Amino acid sequence: MKEKIIGIDLGTTNSCVAVLEGGTPEVITNAEGERVTPSVVAFTETGERLVGRLAKRQAITNPKNTIASIKREMGTDHRVHVTVNGKEETYSPEQISSMVLQKLKSDAEAHLGGKVVKAVITVPAYFNDSQRQATKDAGKIAGLEVMRIINEPTAAALAYGLDKDHEQTILVYDLGGGTFDVSILEIGEGVFDVLATDGDTRLGGDDFDQRIIDWLVEEFRKDTGIDLSGDPSAVQRLKDAAEASKKELSTRMETTIHLPYITADASGPKHLEKKLSRAKFEGMIDDYLQRTINVVDATLREAKKGASDIDQVVLVGGSTRIPKVQELISSRVPGKTSREINPDEVVAAGAAIQGGILAGEVDEIVLLDVTPLTLSIETLGAVATPLIERNTTIPTEKTKTFTTAEDNQPAVEIHVVQGERKMAADNKSLGKFQLTGLPPAPRGIPQIDVTFNIDADGILHVTAKDKATSKSSSITIQDSSRLDDAEIDRMRKDAEEHAEEDQKRTELIEARNQADQLAYSVEKALADLGEKVDASKRSEIEDRIRRLREKLDSDAAIEEIRRETEELAKASQEVAAEAYKQSQESSTEPAGPSGGEAKPNEDDEADDGEYIDAEYDEQ
Amino acid sequence: MSKKKDCNAHDNPSAPSADASAEMKPSELQSCVDRLQRLQAEFENYKKRMTRDMSSLGDRIADQVILDFLTPYENLERAFRSHEADKDVEQFVAGVGQIHAQFAQILEQRGVEEIPSEGATFDPAIHDAVLMAPSEEEKNTIIEVLSPGYRRNGRVLRASKVTVSQGPATQEEQA
Repeated sequence: MKEKIIGIDLGTTNSCVAVLEGGTPEVITNAEGERVTPSVVAFTETGERLVGRLAKRQAITNPKNTIASIKREMGTDHRVHVTVNGKEETYSPEQISSMVLQKLKSDAEAHLGGKVVKAVITVPAYFNDSQRQATKDAGKIAGLEVMRIINEPTAAALAYGLDKDHEQTILVYDLGGGTFDVSILEIGEGVFDVLATDGDTRLGGDDFDQRIIDWLVEEFRKDTGIDLSGDPSAVQRLKDAAEASKKELSTRMETTIHLPYITADASGPKHLEKKLSRAKFEGMIDDYLQRTINVVDATLREAKKGASDIDQVVLVGGSTRIPKVQELISSRVPGKTSREINPDEVVAAGAAIQGGILAGEVDEIVLLDVTPLTLSIETLGAVATPLIERNTTIPTEKTKTFTTAEDNQPAVEIHVVQGERKMAADNKSLGKFQLTGLPPAPRGIPQIDVTFNIDADGILHVTAKDKATSKSSSITIQDSSRLDDAEIDRMRKDAEEHAEEDQKRTELIEARNQADQLAYSVEKALADLGEKVDASKRSEIEDRIRRLREKLDSDAAIEEIRRETEELAKASQEVAAEAYKQSQESSTEPAGPSGGEAKPNEDDEADDGEYIDAEYDEQ
Repeated sequence: MSKKKDCNAHDNPSAPSADASAEMKPSELQSCVDRLQRLQAEFENYKKRMTRDMSSLGDRIADQVILDFLTPYENLERAFRSHEADKDVEQFVAGVGQIHAQFAQILEQRGVEEIPSEGATFDPAIHDAVLMAPSEEEKNTIIEVLSPGYRRNGRVLRASKVTVSQGPATQEEQA
């Protein structure tokens, strides 16, 4: 096992640590069970040193010995004076930062179950040499070998894998809890060049919360004449409610803030209940957001770039979850906007990737491809039955067992299709072949294993094998994963757009297949049982079968088919008991029979190609 | 498994120290690479499946918790309907008291306990200091609980938000 190099986002308010595991960055949960650690250090009166959440919780009781936002002082002569056990002690910003790093290091060691020595640490793009050196020194003091200091925006770009794309210009918009940064980077052949960087060191999500608190206090004053701002318990509840409602408005258009028994006056208890719409909230913070856009403009000017020169925008920081932020930035900068990775963790994730590259882990692994689209075969009713789902890492192999749809079917046709649509015909056809020479057997009895094997080069080998005779037939498809991005995108969108109608069609086909299967089984049971079924019952059931088949032939609606199926099931209950037994015993999925149709297996979703052997009654 | 021993040749202490791969036939090497890639791909797919399973497991756990709380929720609705009908405040308060007990019972069954705060010495592991105020109490004693905290199986679910004494006012001024 190679030595792990951890990636650390050493932030002003919060820090985060991640490590590359199996080729993907994983954020490490700290001892308190959280994925980010407040960048706060405290010295208690008894000389105990606290870092992170605990330090933050006691800050108000111990303000002189609690240090937050030390990042702002990195690389300066600033000294922190604290009193420990009655003695004054002096620390440099590097030393305080090292205490945060030490906690992250020990949390990482607890997670990885071994010593961690090497790290990549991120810094803002605007950090000068002495600030970078100070950060490196902080790492050293913490017992870390700092393999590299990288820019936060660069780390974010790495997390999105933008170093692997073609040459491009990206804008990183980083709006955190308390700081705002914009950087414009040029990426070419894995080299990152910061063209310009700007920001506002005192602007972030905490300001947005405060606006909601102010509004609530004002509204409550208007309604009741009571000023909540002087009531610490009420203010605490307002703070929590403000943050919660801000978060909720990222996914909902409106939220209601309930704070029952917020206070009381002579007339009795008072409750606060206010509706806050997304639009109202956006109005409250509009000036802040405009300020960020002005900074974006200034940064573009400094980089001598127009908005249209930006190929991609990367969003970093929790506040970029606010839909209005996304809207403003994408209307100002028309390029593609990336925000799929958790914006609180994306910088640490990128640092971990840099660590992986330095450790040689990334090269060694040779990133494996994934199947861009689902690979299926056509089964009964022209349905596409998936063998390999999209996004499966290759090389891989999957086998499913199918059967025939007709009695004495001599051959099955295997039609391989690619795409997310439910119907085979709506997907891209990759190839067809036949497996012939099946011995005569009732439908549902033959077992045909269809195996999809994709090698590392994306070449798909499809084999169909009849279990009884061991006869097999196969096809090789060269370009199963060689689609260009535009085509993949188009096919996925196509599937999304048609999802509902496809669902209806599959439901209809399933209902038809069920009806057909039932009619067949009941008919067979009638024949098998012979005179054990009395004549009137027999003719009633035969009548039902005939009517159900008429519905199938006349392409009746799903409701009608279901109703007739149910009627037949009811009418033939005793017979059905026998018939069902048979049908369940042979519920293997009928594959595409030559000249006929294929039909899907009932229980093929749950497993990965394992076929549970059924016992067969030799009738 | 016997056919697979070639891939592990270099793990065999008795094997010559020379690069084992150099002694492999190209076809053997190819099959080792293929197996390695398949194992790696399987691991990737396993990780994807685990992520999916974990999130659906999380969903089911949330479902279970919600089910627990539906009963008191419905009882609360009954309380309002009944109060609407008879306007009997005493009965209403008694009913709500029972519902509160029901909530407490669910929390207790799930091992949730309130963090002792009032009068305790402030401990940042379980308390979150929101305010400091002068008081007759000793410094660092919790004098007011703004919102209670809870823990379960030793884990802090939520730290209690508290006001902490800074000792008598004069003492603070001296400091």
